[in-house]
Amino acid sequence: MKALTRQDLAALATQPAPLPAEWIRVQLDTGGIAAGAETVHAALEHCRVESHLSFTLLRTGSVGYSFADPVVEVQAKGMPRVHYGCMTPELAPQLLTEHFGAHRLLDDHVIATRRRGLKLDAPVTHILVGDTGEGSGNKTEFFQFSLREELKRRGLADRVQVVRALDMGLYAKGAVVQLLPSAVTYTNVLAPDIARIVAESVAAGKLLDDLLWKTPDKQVRIVLRHCGSVDPDSADDYLRHAEGYQALAKALFTLTPEQVIAELKISALRGRGGAGFPTWMKWQLTRAQPAAQRYVICNGDEGDPGAFMDRSVLESDPHAVLEGMMIAAYAMGSSQGYLYIRAEYPKAVERIQRALEQARELGLLGRNILGSNFSFDAKIRLGAGAFVCGEETALIASIEGRRGSPSPRPPYPSVRGLWGMPTAINNVETLAIVPAILLKGGAWFASHGTDTSKGTKVFAVTGKVRNAQLVEVPMGTTLREIVCEVCGGVLDGKEIKAVQTGGPSGGVIPASLLDTPVSYETLQQLGSIMGSGGMLVMDKSDSMVDVAKFYLRFCVDESCGKCAPCRIGGYQLLQVLERISRGRGTAADLPLIQRVCHAMQKASLCGLGQTAPNPVLSTLRYFGEEYQAYIEGGASYAKKMGRPAAAGAAAKTPPAGATVPPTTTTPPQEVSP
Amino acid sequence: MKTNQPATGSETAAADLKHYDEAALIDVLEKVQQKHGFIPRDISDEVGRLLEIRLERLRRIQGKLDSTIRRDVQQHVAHWRNEEGNLIMILHAIQNQYGYVPREVAMELSRELGVKLARIYEVITFYHYFKLQPPGAHNITVCNGTACYLKGSGDLIGELRTLLGIAEGQTTTDRQIHFDTVRCIGCCGMAPAMVIDGKTCGHAKTSDLAGRVAALKARKENAA
Repeated sequence: MKALTRQDLAALATQPAPLPAEWIRVQLDTGGIAAGAETVHAALEHCRVESHLSFTLLRTGSVGYSFADPVVEVQAKGMPRVHYGCMTPELAPQLLTEHFGAHRLLDDHVIATRRRGLKLDAPVTHILVGDTGEGSGNKTEFFQFSLREELKRRGLADRVQVVRALDMGLYAKGAVVQLLPSAVTYTNVLAPDIARIVAESVAAGKLLDDLLWKTPDKQVRIVLRHCGSVDPDSADDYLRHAEGYQALAKALFTLTPEQVIAELKISALRGRGGAGFPTWMKWQLTRAQPAAQRYVICNGDEGDPGAFMDRSVLESDPHAVLEGMMIAAYAMGSSQGYLYIRAEYPKAVERIQRALEQARELGLLGRNILGSNFSFDAKIRLGAGAFVCGEETALIASIEGRRGSPSPRPPYPSVRGLWGMPTAINNVETLAIVPAILLKGGAWFASHGTDTSKGTKVFAVTGKVRNAQLVEVPMGTTLREIVCEVCGGVLDGKEIKAVQTGGPSGGVIPASLLDTPVSYETLQQLGSIMGSGGMLVMDKSDSMVDVAKFYLRFCVDESCGKCAPCRIGGYQLLQVLERISRGRGTAADLPLIQRVCHAMQKASLCGLGQTAPNPVLSTLRYFGEEYQAYIEGGASYAKKMGRPAAAGAAAKTPPAGATVPPTTTTPPQEVSP
Repeated sequence: MKTNQPATGSETAAADLKHYDEAALIDVLEKVQQKHGFIPRDISDEVGRLLEIRLERLRRIQGKLDSTIRRDVQQHVAHWRNEEGNLIMILHAIQNQYGYVPREVAMELSRELGVKLARIYEVITFYHYFKLQPPGAHNITVCNGTACYLKGSGDLIGELRTLLGIAEGQTTTDRQIHFDTVRCIGCCGMAPAMVIDGKTCGHAKTSDLAGRVAALKARKENAA
């Protein structure tokens, strides 16, 4: 590859390269590959060669639909662009003949687009239909049949195809019908409406205002803007199709470092790693320190179990993270960066490594980047499975090749960090946002979100949720909107009990408070934290005592042992919880828990110890009656909850909530001794 | 092992002795001494020569092993020589090569880097990722992240314990299957997830486990 010049970048900005007319993108991230995306890719390639089709087969990262992995996106001439979920290699030949040959979509695999149209600007070619009702019996087939019959009656059957969708993106809205390619969506469609839809919308091109779904989608994609559309292994693709490194060029040639920081200040971007420290201030503080060398660190040590935003961004859009890091370095006057990534994410490491090599070849890393007098290089450092290394000072110790023990702050890393030099540590997501802010302006970014928390936040919604996926919503969206409207609510139509945010450092938010808008402050008031963005949905069958114990055990295992409140407090707290969950708790235990938690919060050295009691305290606060039930019910109650006396010995069958009698979903004989 | 029916006469011995193992050779000397009251020079020389050869061979194997280790370690160190804080990255390279961090290698690394062995072990034992025991031929890892936990990874762990007869973090006695749990592999969308020999399987069910374990065992027998 030839080194880029400033002129090349300017040329790329004015004339973006067009995409090929026909293509298939296979989403190859860790989740997709685990579900078999590589075999799907191979099968598609094989069929393409055999059938002499001219489309281009592309590799991308994940768009976020984890529930439907492996996902492919298809663009063919005269066809709407669609995502197919739950692909298999066996479907590949059928996909090609149907989609490219017969111009038909495949039943049961289409994920409806979230960009719903509000006007019928093109003749309808395909109709997606899906029953999103909560009730028993799925009426999708009935609607498909009725629509087909109606089309036949009007002689439109050969022009318009009716397709069952895998996912409509709307939930509990009755039968949903989407007219492609304009993506006009009708909800709560009843059988009598079918004739109207066909007669007025399909034949005459008129909108049915009473059925039309007008609410725009909750999601706003800023961090994930290129995820699932650029090839993470190709710098060329990023440069041509994703305004790649334009923000860097803008910063280098039109802005001073102070102006970059000022732009960040306008955007009011706060660190996305959890604590929410203003990014501009962090950069400013680091910049203000006189030093021969300053360091930028990208924190990709996503140790929070149940979260995969950082992995997804690193795997799907590595160059954006790198670009953000370079801008950060420019703003701070740093020439050396480190990307600290978990060793458990080999795919992310591999892609970042490749991105670094490509950037070096293009002259985007190294000395005098793009002919300016800014020099920068970045290196990868692997984490080695220690949750505490997500903490700044521990992370620095780990990069220095030592045990990841945190040290007391101050001095903050921005004063004395890596090898004693001023260091700014930013989360993957924060850095991925930076190029977008520079290109579109801080004010644009600040127009999303609430007063104190601007912009958007990516959440990994998992657990007992229908569609486990990545969600990016503006701050201020309520938890209920995220869980119920974007992700489809609880699995199997059960009742939602609580949502856990922030992983082991966060807390549990009960169903009654789900209408809280999400922001750094509101979550903190509820006894939880924003955290890195894991969001775990729990239904009525999950025991809160058990959940608290799970998180606490995690923190006890991960405690580095340096300070006593965390090391001893966590262990003793776990003992008390074990006792309670075995039915041996006493009334004095609950105040004891409170006291120990309080001591840990006050006296621990780092964030891990200070926040470890959060899951316990928040469950105690909102679900205290479950603890009471264990204490009052004694051993027989604990036994009834499906938990053998040797706790943790086996079989973590989901016990019923304390207020609900045990369900019979898991017969006791499955519990192995 | 050769049973000791050693030749009794000095004239027959020399040719056959090379088939005897060390214990048998010593035995020959004793038998001869009992019979003759002394050890003829040619027999003692021959026995000595054979023992020497074997010792030499042993030394060579050991030396080769040592030099391979040294060469490997030197290579890793050379790759990271000029980096500050390289210890963890070198340990990663070593673990990638051997599957764990063998004691000999750690000792060699300590010599090569000029770092105390205690400091290397301090780092190895702190991080969950580094292993001190050799892995099994096959690895089963169950994800115990929160999403997987809620969706029943505990059942998977219980079932595997019963099937394999070992707890997490252990290897079956025939060193064939290593069973472990991991914090989170980031595949929460397909919980509960497990990794079998590097391949991630989503939506794992307890009922499939017996079949999967049997498949692994069968693979072992085919290989053998």
